[in-house]
Amino acid sequence: MRMKRYVYIITAFILCLSSCKGFLEENPKDAINENQIAGNLKELYMHSVATLYNNIGGYNDSEGIQGTGRGIYDLNTFTTDEAIMPTRGADWYDGGFWQGLYLHDWGTNNNSILATWEYLYKSVMLCNESARRIKDYATEHSDDDAQPLMSEVRALRALFYYHLMDLFGRVPLIRETEVEKSVKEQAERSEIFWLIVNELQESLPYLADERSNIPGEYYGRITRHVAYFLLAKLALNAEVYTDDVWTDNLRPNGADIEFTIDGTRMNAWEATIYYCDKIAEAGYNLEPDYRTNFAVFNESSVENIFVIPMDKTLYTNQFIYLFRSRHYNHAKAYGLGGENGASATLDVLETFGYGTENEDPRFDFCYFDDDLTDLDGNPIMLDDGKTRLVYEPWKVELDVSGKPYEKTAGARMKKYEVDPTGFKDGKLIDNDIVLYRYADVLLMKCEAKVRNGENGDRELNLVRSRVNAPARSATLENILDERMLELAWEGWRRQDMIRFGVYTEAYSSRPQLENEETGFTTVFPIPEKIIQMNNWLLQNSGYKK
Amino acid sequence: MKKHKRTNTLSLLASLPLILAGQTINAQEQELDKVSADTVVNVGYATGSIKKLSGSVELIKEDQMNKIQIVNPIEAIQGRVAGLTINKGGNGTAALDAVRLRGTTSITGGNSPLIIVDGVIGDMTLLTSIYPTDIESFTILKDASETAQYGSRGASGVINVVTKKGIKGKTSINYSGSFGISSVYKRIGMLDADEYRNVTSSLGLSIIDKGYNTNFQKAIERTAIRQNHNIALYGGGEKSTYRVSLGYLDMEGDIMNEGMKMFTSNMNLNQKLIDNLVDCELGIFGSVKRERSLFDLQKTFYSAATFNPTFPGEKNSSGAWDNLTTASQITNPLAWMEVDNRETASYFSAHAKINVNLPYRLKLVLFGSYTYNNAEDSQYLPTTVWAYGQGYRGLRSSESLLGNMMLTYNRQMGKHFIDVLALGELSKDRYSGFYTTATNFSSDYMGFNNLQAGALRPWDGTGSYFEDPRQVSFLGRVNYSYDDRYVVTLNARTDASSKFGENHKWGFFPSASVAWNISQEDFMRYVDIVDNLKVRLGYGLAGNQGGISSYTTMSLAKPNGVAPVGNLPMVTFETLRNVNPDLKWEVKKTFNAGADLEMYGSRFILSVNYYKSKTSDMLYNYHVSVPPFTYNTLLANIGSMENNGVEISVGGTPVRTGDWELMINANLTYQQNKLLSLGGMYEGNYISAAEYTAIAGLNGAGFHGGNNNIVYQIVGQPLGVFYLPKCTGLKDDGNGGYVYGIADLNGGGVSIEDGEDRYIAGQAIPKYILGSNISLRYKSFDISLQMNGAFGHKIYNGTALTYMNMNNLPDYNVMEEAPKKMIRDQTATDYWLENGNYLNFDYLTIGWQPKVKDGLWLKGCRLAFTINNLATITGYSGLTPLINSSGIDGTLGVDDKRSYPVSRTYTLSLGLNF
Repeated sequence: MRMKRYVYIITAFILCLSSCKGFLEENPKDAINENQIAGNLKELYMHSVATLYNNIGGYNDSEGIQGTGRGIYDLNTFTTDEAIMPTRGADWYDGGFWQGLYLHDWGTNNNSILATWEYLYKSVMLCNESARRIKDYATEHSDDDAQPLMSEVRALRALFYYHLMDLFGRVPLIRETEVEKSVKEQAERSEIFWLIVNELQESLPYLADERSNIPGEYYGRITRHVAYFLLAKLALNAEVYTDDVWTDNLRPNGADIEFTIDGTRMNAWEATIYYCDKIAEAGYNLEPDYRTNFAVFNESSVENIFVIPMDKTLYTNQFIYLFRSRHYNHAKAYGLGGENGASATLDVLETFGYGTENEDPRFDFCYFDDDLTDLDGNPIMLDDGKTRLVYEPWKVELDVSGKPYEKTAGARMKKYEVDPTGFKDGKLIDNDIVLYRYADVLLMKCEAKVRNGENGDRELNLVRSRVNAPARSATLENILDERMLELAWEGWRRQDMIRFGVYTEAYSSRPQLENEETGFTTVFPIPEKIIQMNNWLLQNSGYKK
Repeated sequence: MKKHKRTNTLSLLASLPLILAGQTINAQEQELDKVSADTVVNVGYATGSIKKLSGSVELIKEDQMNKIQIVNPIEAIQGRVAGLTINKGGNGTAALDAVRLRGTTSITGGNSPLIIVDGVIGDMTLLTSIYPTDIESFTILKDASETAQYGSRGASGVINVVTKKGIKGKTSINYSGSFGISSVYKRIGMLDADEYRNVTSSLGLSIIDKGYNTNFQKAIERTAIRQNHNIALYGGGEKSTYRVSLGYLDMEGDIMNEGMKMFTSNMNLNQKLIDNLVDCELGIFGSVKRERSLFDLQKTFYSAATFNPTFPGEKNSSGAWDNLTTASQITNPLAWMEVDNRETASYFSAHAKINVNLPYRLKLVLFGSYTYNNAEDSQYLPTTVWAYGQGYRGLRSSESLLGNMMLTYNRQMGKHFIDVLALGELSKDRYSGFYTTATNFSSDYMGFNNLQAGALRPWDGTGSYFEDPRQVSFLGRVNYSYDDRYVVTLNARTDASSKFGENHKWGFFPSASVAWNISQEDFMRYVDIVDNLKVRLGYGLAGNQGGISSYTTMSLAKPNGVAPVGNLPMVTFETLRNVNPDLKWEVKKTFNAGADLEMYGSRFILSVNYYKSKTSDMLYNYHVSVPPFTYNTLLANIGSMENNGVEISVGGTPVRTGDWELMINANLTYQQNKLLSLGGMYEGNYISAAEYTAIAGLNGAGFHGGNNNIVYQIVGQPLGVFYLPKCTGLKDDGNGGYVYGIADLNGGGVSIEDGEDRYIAGQAIPKYILGSNISLRYKSFDISLQMNGAFGHKIYNGTALTYMNMNNLPDYNVMEEAPKKMIRDQTATDYWLENGNYLNFDYLTIGWQPKVKDGLWLKGCRLAFTINNLATITGYSGLTPLINSSGIDGTLGVDDKRSYPVSRTYTLSLGLNF
């Protein structure tokens, strides 16, 4: 029958459709299956280790250890007596964000704190994924090849956990990739601290004994020297980091905190000194000129230890700190952009002896004040073409709106040499961003010695004499001041103030918050949205809810 | 096609502007003056007679379309269909923000209705490629019992467009064209230069006074000229018909340099073969569009309103635009005008349909279509606005291949009628593109035409992509009716998509509907004023995958940056999102009940529909916790949402005499949406969206981050609610100014963070939408007025919040009223939340259509004059209440310095038929 024929044709057509199972399969061409990116050791290194370094620098807000805004650096800087973001009329109010940071009234639902948390844990989870791939590779290939890679990943993860522990105190400890295996409890701060120390110590032997700030195979990487530095930092702050109850005004004593290094037992101060010495042994030294460390081409610095490599055509890492600090016309004079924001506080001016005959020479290296010129040495004018742009450092306040000095109050960031060829208004520049440098090693050693009952004058005055500052004796007070002078706007201030116990006290235009004497603001709140999604998480003591 | 001669024939005058639910006419072979209730009609793939339909279908024929100068054909039915919202206002002369049928039912996407043109399936870009006057009819399917035929594609409704075809035995040429002038009549009232000087000097603020008096809002405008022309040639013989048309549109924008030129062509050919056993239809349509639009809408209008009015409206002596560095968020608006931002898009589509009449009342239909869409974006930001200049060039292309095969059978056996359809369909799409960016230009002269003039190419400025989703579908449909009184329709459609996980590719979406033609009952024989009365009930499922892209279920790695490896910079890969291998179809279940009534010889028509739908397994990009997840979003099927609404369409012809005819036509839609849940289990873990998720917020100086979110999605509330601090009034700040007082709603001091002192202050999406048309004809003259309105929603006047803040002076200009109020604050509270109700008089047309003597070379002509955007009645204090009030994006419900100045267009149009 004819009808049958048609039925056959149609049945055949339908069968053909349904049998083409492959038709519905996806074969992506603009992405590669995750299990195909670890075919050999080089691939494994590229896509499981090198890739993680894209999280050290950043492009988006709150991402990257330094260079971007509203992230780790800002939480460590604009909350202190070192830097302030004054509200200037229509500019920089930003829903009260900056004032909140300075006043320590940042709220538990702060989107930037949330984004910082998410960035850090994303980096941790990516490290976990990399560790899994390396482990899988090692089971199929040789353990020996994979070991250095694994160690580098563990060290990187330790770095991210170090920031988590430093910012948030008690956080979940996750070292697996599988979601269902996730830990459902917060680890105590001390537990995380010892884990970081342990991870770094175990990684050390496999990390390269190389400099990281020099272009080449180890450029920007966690080498043994970088790990030493981090270990020294951890040991120096061990009193804070091993304190699981930070709101009782009682702290463990560093002399009683016991580190085991290469089988030797040491207290926290001895451990700090040990790791500082290790760095010195590796050949680091102070640059004769302070400014060399922050030059456009600072890759040759003998002082820098760990940097974020910057190259405006290659990397997307941004450095917005100069951009957002300098006045519009100031930036324009360089052919760049500016947002006229971040300023030095009154405490900075006082500590530097600004305007006095004993003004610290580093003020002029770190901050712009009144004698502004363009790159050819001509004075910088305002839009009217008549008035010279002059910053007014002493006029800085939390809110300068409507004041005659609304746009000019405050000394501005100068530290990094101007790269007039910068991209994106000067946010993409060639100066590598300095994370760790040797001057800090000397100051850490100095402080550890003093805290351990020894004399630290030599280290302190090595740092001071490099900039021709007169010698001082290494008292704790002088050391804290020296850290502000030497390490101005390098992202250490919050940690330093907490260690010296002054972070929760009032400073120039900041009153002490209610209950702040308990020290609850020494850690940030666990972001409220994260608690909502993980109801087993406990908010840090002192924060409501 | 078969036509039965029946006694109760409905006489529908072609000129009646009706929106007639329950009827659609097969446009290809309709007779213009009469449509029988038994005329065979097309509903989706199916054909059947009007009486034998049980779903809700709306038809808009050419006579009922808006006869105004339009760019996008969808504007032809704006205000004519209950439940259809069209939001214009995006960037560009041809841009459309959002088209929605029965509102938003999915958060992730896929909310735009399916567009079908002569069987070719596509989206809004497909419709834009058609010249408006080439369209013969729109058929709109909203109800799941009919959209189910299209399965997942039709989840958000279907707009089926039929273009005009040739007509047997007549050879004609048709010309239609129009010429219009548009000019702005409303701007934001800012301080003029003298007021600006006075206010700043009284406040002791020093300004830069260049001595001019420039209204920069006016300076960037122009009187825009708009014209379009279309010529169509059609005709045919016994065996074949054809129609060819060419169209040209040239639309200047109200803002300098904005404009669009489009060329379209449409060709249709019908051929009958082998003793009319086989009927072939071939069609090709194509278009090329060149558009120049604003690069950054908000920055342009923000700059135009607030730029220092004492600056000149011309370049300075050194040939550059004067700028004000301290006003860092804005740029001289005239310098912005030098930004070159263009798109060239071409669209091509070819399709063929072969109808074969087989023995045993079987009919086989084979259909195939291919479309190719290519868009090139070019941008150049000159050194005057962008340090060192930046050039960008990108190409996006999409291809779609679709084929289906359909077999139908129908039979009348006494009072029983049955119609069966089976369909198999395959489709394959391909999306690909690339882009590149260059910076550091040595000259602005070449711009994007020679990217080599730029010295540097940042790594992240270049990229390309590829995606090829596929879909397989089967459909079975049975339509049964008894004595034309009782009708049952069952659809069973199954779709499989390549985008979903291995075990979730297939989805089954059945639907059923019943109808009772009450007017066909014996007892109705005596009620002769009722021509037609029908009640309908339907229920159906629809799948949705619109908002997701390919490969989301696979664990993939992509380039994430450059890192030093060895001595070389190398590109490293990384997984760039959380993977969800269990991704599946989002399902929407819709119940529809409706009634259609026609009385007094169709002079009164009423159609009422009620619907309720629930979207479950809702695809949503959840904000998930990091850890345990790596990235903070996860696409998952967890949430649910509910929509319900009532649609009422009324059409009446109260006056109809030989010379006079008055027609009134209105439709009212009530719609309400509720977000039921955004939480559930995923792989054994409970995941949930955050309690408060911001959708839209404010931008501009001093609005970066912080508590500047305005519109949120909150479970238990409609999608898009205003969640704001409550303002207690203006409060003296102690320095002669005022700040917004904020109520401490939850005690314990004022905090305006989410979850603290904020409350739900209203919704952004209108509850009621009105479309109305009144037309009057006297002899050969006609006049028609179209009004559209929306009610029950609010608008956040972020523009006023910004421009009323006196702290903006002197860098940014403020509004005229600002010095009186002396507000020195820009905290976002409900102070600037306003009622959004409006009634807009869309257009008024006066036409003249003289009778032409028979036998003359001219067969018909029409001359018309139209004023578009006549007036708006609203209590909203901002520029216009016609902002985005339906698309779920960063502009929803917030008027934030980006509204176009309001303009009117005066158009003269001419139609000739030879």
